[in-house]
Amino acid sequence: MAPNLHPERQRVWQSLASVRTGIILLILVGVVAAAGTVILQRPATDPEQMQRAYSPGLLRWLDALGLTNVFHSWWFAVLLGLLCLSIVLASLERFPAVWRYFARPYRRPEPHFRAVLPLKYEIRIRNPERGLGAAEQALRQMGFRPERIAGGEDGEDSLYAERNRFARLAAYVVHVSLLLILLGGIVDSVWGYRGFLNLTRGQQAGQIELADGSTRPMPFTLRCDGVGQENYADGTPKRWWSKLVVLQDGREVARKEIAVNDPLVYGGLRFFQANYGRTADVAAVKFVATPKGGGKPEPLVLGPGEPVTLSDGTRVRLERFVPDFYVRDNQIYTRSEEANNPAIQLSLTSKSGESKLWIFPNYPEYSQAAEAPYDFQFQDLEMGYFTGLQVSHEPGQWAVWAGCLLMGGGLILAFYFVHMRFWVMPISDGEGRRVLWVGASPSKNREDFEERFRALVHEIEKNLKTEAAAGAAVRAASLAGVAGR
Amino acid sequence: MARERVATHPGARGNTLLVLLSLTVVTLLFVAFLGNVKSGNLVSEASLLYVTLIFYGAATALYLAFGVTGLERYVRFALGSTWLGFLANTLAFAHRWWTAGHPPFSSIYEMLLSFVWTLAALTLVAERRFAVRVLGTVTMPLAVVGVVLMQLLPSEVRPLVPALQSTWLHVHVTFAMLAYAACAVSFALALMFLIQDRMHTDTFLAVTSALSTGIYLGMLTRFAPAGGLRVIAWDFAERREVFLAPQARLFVVIPDLGWLFLAVTVAVAAPLALYVWSRWRKDERALNWANSAFYLGLLFQALALTAFVLRARGGNYASLEAEGLYPTSLSASPFLLAGLVGGIFASVLYLMLYWRRHDLERLLPSADALDRLTYKTIGIAFPLLTLMIAAGAYWANRTWGAYWSWDQKETWAAITWLVYAGYLHMRITRGWRGRRAAYFAILGFAVVIFTFFGVTYLLGGLHAYA
Repeated sequence: MAPNLHPERQRVWQSLASVRTGIILLILVGVVAAAGTVILQRPATDPEQMQRAYSPGLLRWLDALGLTNVFHSWWFAVLLGLLCLSIVLASLERFPAVWRYFARPYRRPEPHFRAVLPLKYEIRIRNPERGLGAAEQALRQMGFRPERIAGGEDGEDSLYAERNRFARLAAYVVHVSLLLILLGGIVDSVWGYRGFLNLTRGQQAGQIELADGSTRPMPFTLRCDGVGQENYADGTPKRWWSKLVVLQDGREVARKEIAVNDPLVYGGLRFFQANYGRTADVAAVKFVATPKGGGKPEPLVLGPGEPVTLSDGTRVRLERFVPDFYVRDNQIYTRSEEANNPAIQLSLTSKSGESKLWIFPNYPEYSQAAEAPYDFQFQDLEMGYFTGLQVSHEPGQWAVWAGCLLMGGGLILAFYFVHMRFWVMPISDGEGRRVLWVGASPSKNREDFEERFRALVHEIEKNLKTEAAAGAAVRAASLAGVAGR
Repeated sequence: MARERVATHPGARGNTLLVLLSLTVVTLLFVAFLGNVKSGNLVSEASLLYVTLIFYGAATALYLAFGVTGLERYVRFALGSTWLGFLANTLAFAHRWWTAGHPPFSSIYEMLLSFVWTLAALTLVAERRFAVRVLGTVTMPLAVVGVVLMQLLPSEVRPLVPALQSTWLHVHVTFAMLAYAACAVSFALALMFLIQDRMHTDTFLAVTSALSTGIYLGMLTRFAPAGGLRVIAWDFAERREVFLAPQARLFVVIPDLGWLFLAVTVAVAAPLALYVWSRWRKDERALNWANSAFYLGLLFQALALTAFVLRARGGNYASLEAEGLYPTSLSASPFLLAGLVGGIFASVLYLMLYWRRHDLERLLPSADALDRLTYKTIGIAFPLLTLMIAAGAYWANRTWGAYWSWDQKETWAAITWLVYAGYLHMRITRGWRGRRAAYFAILGFAVVIFTFFGVTYLLGGLHAYA
């Protein structure tokens, strides 16, 4: 379809719609994408590594050309856009011709068409009606439903049969599916986002951290009720899981135990198990508390923010936890996030008042406070675990999956379905004899189709013979003879 | 020519070679059997693979024997040997599946196993259904290279890491292997087409020479200043490359090999240079020299392979990047080894064409039929490629939360897809049959090979485990 445009514009239209342009664009996208895999890419590689890999001058050039972030550069997007445009225009250009197969199936072959059709054959007949009947029967036997088209050149009927007309649309189905996939990709790159969320047991959060360091609020709150790892016998990890609860206005609305490969989906957001590890925080500290005034020692398990009441009414709370402490200027700092040298501060509330004390499990001699009514014997320490959640919002993904399914169907149509058409028509041949003209046209796979055509001709001849067993002469022109005409 | 020779020597049935080859096969099988009896483990995957290797190797040898003698019986026997190899391959595949408890698709070793199996299966299908009788000449050497590589890659059954525990993984990799094997077959068919399409033998000479030169130049990018060859350090016990830091490989220098490889590069490039000279100067004599130089090049390549295998086998060589000596072994960079073996196979295939062109042409279907077959094979490969990418994207979306992240392997899979899409458009819309379509099919397979091996060994990325 070349609409009535200014000649200049028409030229642009036609060159964009040509397959040559499409292929050149395909090759360009391929080459640029290949370059993007060979050259180190910016967001994924850290700047120091880039500087080590390339000289400063080269790096400046690569950055200026956008080659260090090919897949997110504007010109790559432009290239993909041009490819889409070329697909759309090429499809538009060719669509009317294909649409004709649907709107106006070519049911009655005219002489000029009969002359140029490559697959054709002529069978001598006496009676046109009997010939058509034989052909009808043969076509039915091959699973076709022949139509009778009334009123030919000599006022006689002709036959038309076809199958898989929709296969003509295969290329459009594939192209539409490709556009659908790209559309999904565009929607996701514009409106979608990805972020991270780390939660420890019992913790809840209402916002996620995006890749660029900013945060983004979620329309609900997510709480983690537990995290864990399961191992194979040899110690390699087998499964990571976390129990997640979705809270809306404080009310629980959804709950799921997620694992790698099995995300939680809620409100357009998907939460993936991406990470698992130990936090710098403590999950539980175990003590044995012995009253200084004499009495029975009591075991005690303290978690963060959960005060425990001892038997005499003293409330013990975990005030502070420093995983790897050192002291400078009378202040406690931590060296690392590993619980190598912990310092634990407890606060006690009893009838006599409030007091605080530090306990250093590695230095028990410094640990006690004189005023505290109890001796705390450190037993064990359990560090907290966190779950690293990958959060993504991909509103376009359904277009992508729909596109994939459609493309699968389109490709099957394109490769494995052939639009076949058969015409049977009684005509007079060059010498004025009555013949049954049989013609056929496949949309592809000519060579395999020829077999089918030969089988059909053979079947018609057989039907005619059995019908005209009384001695009606049936003579067939050879294929070569017809072709040579 | 060949036909005349067969006609003048009607007694030449090639029995001696067949007997020798059968004896070799039987001996190898017996040695393998003895080894198994010793280890007390009669049916193991290693021995099944060994049997596979023997039969695929025998098939290759028989095809080559056909190349030398032009006797048709060799092709028949080669087909038989392929069948036996395929049987052993199937058993190895099943054994692996059974012991691992999951379909063998989770490491590059297991993927090679399924790739080789599909390749052999498709070759057999093509031979039976489409009467392309010498297809194995190209695909069997590929299968042999695959099985040899498998001997060098870590093969123990490892428990699946959490990201790989998904049905979609199996779907993804099944499609990948089927698609890649179909691509390999289409490549072989495109080569056969070029033979039937009366492409000049000299052109094949030039291309083969260019391929080998490319391989050796690629290796020489690791040329050390003192004339050694830098090879990726290989942890023999773990059958794994040695890394200094994530994505930073450790290289060791094998002294003196660099000069040898330089010499080999010159030797394999000589036919190409002579070919160019003869075209430029219209000098037919240079072509004869080119063919003589080709024998020399093949000899040098064999020398390079032998030297590499001998020197790299368990030697301790210094590394430039890190302190100390690192053991390297024959398996140091299977990529390098595959290149060396691939170059030799390509050269031998050229010689086969040079000697036996008429016999090859006699046994092959017409150029038109081969062109259609190439198209049909790509018609199988392309939807499979599409499904592979779609299944991979779906799986990635379930595991990493993104269906497309422009990871190297993903990108190269997309490039492969684009190349074949280009092929299909040229064939369907522009009606470009024959040569240009065949070149595209060959380019497509080159990209497939790069996606399969090259990306894993050269680029890395998220697909680190495959």
